[in-house]
Amino acid sequence: MVKPALAVRDLSVSFGGVTALQDVSADFPSGEIIGIIGPNGAGKTTLLNVICGMNPPDAGDVFLGEHRLNGMKPNRIAALGLRRTFQSSQLFAGMSVLENMMTGLHLMGSTGLFGAILRSRRMREEEREMRERALQSLDFVGFRHFADRPGSALSFGQQRIIEIARTLIFEPKVVLLDEPAVGLSVNRVAELDTLLRRIRDERGVTLIMIEHVIRLVMGVSDRVVVLNSGRKIAEGLPDEVRRDEAVIEAYLGHQAHA
Amino acid sequence: MRHLVGKRAFIVALFGALLLAPSVTNQYQTFVANLILLYIILSLGLNLLIGFAGQLALSNAAMYGIGAYGTGLMMAHFGFPYWAAAPCGALLAMGLGTLLALPALRLSGIYLALATLAFAQFTYWVMTHWTDVTFGAGGFVPPRIDFSPLPVNQEQGIYYLSWILALLLYVVARRAMESPVGRAFVAIRDGEVAAQSLGIDLLRYKSLAFAMSGFYAGVAGALYCGLLGFVGPESFDLLQMILHKGAVVLGGMGSVVGSVIGGTLLTVLVEITKEAKFSIEIAFGGLLVVFVLFQPSGLIVFIRKWLPGWDERLHYVPPGTAPPVQAARTAAAEGDD
Repeated sequence: MVKPALAVRDLSVSFGGVTALQDVSADFPSGEIIGIIGPNGAGKTTLLNVICGMNPPDAGDVFLGEHRLNGMKPNRIAALGLRRTFQSSQLFAGMSVLENMMTGLHLMGSTGLFGAILRSRRMREEEREMRERALQSLDFVGFRHFADRPGSALSFGQQRIIEIARTLIFEPKVVLLDEPAVGLSVNRVAELDTLLRRIRDERGVTLIMIEHVIRLVMGVSDRVVVLNSGRKIAEGLPDEVRRDEAVIEAYLGHQAHA
Repeated sequence: MRHLVGKRAFIVALFGALLLAPSVTNQYQTFVANLILLYIILSLGLNLLIGFAGQLALSNAAMYGIGAYGTGLMMAHFGFPYWAAAPCGALLAMGLGTLLALPALRLSGIYLALATLAFAQFTYWVMTHWTDVTFGAGGFVPPRIDFSPLPVNQEQGIYYLSWILALLLYVVARRAMESPVGRAFVAIRDGEVAAQSLGIDLLRYKSLAFAMSGFYAGVAGALYCGLLGFVGPESFDLLQMILHKGAVVLGGMGSVVGSVIGGTLLTVLVEITKEAKFSIEIAFGGLLVVFVLFQPSGLIVFIRKWLPGWDERLHYVPPGTAPPVQAARTAAAEGDD
């Protein structure tokens, strides 16, 4: 197998005695879309939070390529090429869409406060390049015409797409998506499906996605990981997972067999 | 025509008028004009912290006082000349201000407000009680400032120095906020977690916001020491903090030019209420409440609406004015987004 873009080993997390994750290990192969599914409270978002550094694990390791991420702050992990979206829209309300995108390139800036105050040539060139790349990223999702709108003026669905574009602008290796399809109409979900495939195929980004819209996650994922009560209960191709006894039981309970 | 009502034209006109003011006004009016310059600096500095970076700190009056005491005490105790003492005062305020970023890493909103208020009260207590160093509640008179070989007396010297620094610090604030630094501040204000996930270092940018804000207040304090020729604790009490916050809110949170407007108007209003024998506390407490409740984005919103040439990016979205997510979700679910 190709070297995984991201790997977690024996992760355990508990919150005041409640076990959120227990001994979870998984490989996330490079250039694939990996779906993470499971009933509510299965530990899916906790897993994402541990990977991106927001939630330190009690035990276990997270590897991004060669880097061991344990104990790193989220901004350091972001600098290594891992980005994420959130369940609720996290566009910055006081900025235009373009500025939101440029903020995704924050780490590109090298001139700091004094460069800004002096308007150094380097600072102005960097700003111009950030603007250009921001517009290109908006083109990728077809939203260039929204560049000057305030982020908060867009619909919920549009904000979600722009957030995904904002994660891509820094050319990350891995992007974590926390329920990208939540609240989207059927048509929008189909568009999201296409967009996710394009991100994988055209940008070569590894996507790790928590999703409850089963049609989307089973259709678009190359591989699916199933969590239940903080444990990994299945992993494999979507069709394998769909037929897995443990998965059926986790979702439907025992009566399904009666 | 656009430029006639633009931001740049406004700044040029205001600072032009302030430059000419000493030659056409009496001594009292010049003093008020100098106060305007100081409150522009104070309001700019506080806006960087609370309007842009979103850190609700109530320590600005304390920083102002630290700048004034730092400057005055270096002159009184060590015989420093003003040109050496003033930077000491400003840098001391910047240093102590930066330390306040440490609690701000763990606290936010009302809790940060209370922690910084405690710091401000502690500073006030030190100014009042550490008599050996600060001369206590009665304050002290620092030595006269000599601007020679420049052909100006203390009043003129401080006035033109204030004018230069206010203009310079306005340009610094505007340029900084139109750069990645400004975007990092606004990102931290609008969503700390998302900001961090984009690689923004919270410690670094919160420290920078507190440092810049402390430096601005410290500079204003150093100038105030020279302007008044007297330093006492009662200049830096809670009312002073309300005035700074009032200037920011009046002009517009998250608007650099709004702070220039707010600082100017507030100073004029304070002088009017003094003459009319209003109680300043009641007047400004009321003004603050009215603005926070009904016009949290400040006067800058009206100006932008009335003057079509006024090109102002608004960096502040008051809570509750963004489209509610629930409604947006419903619209999206119906497919009409």
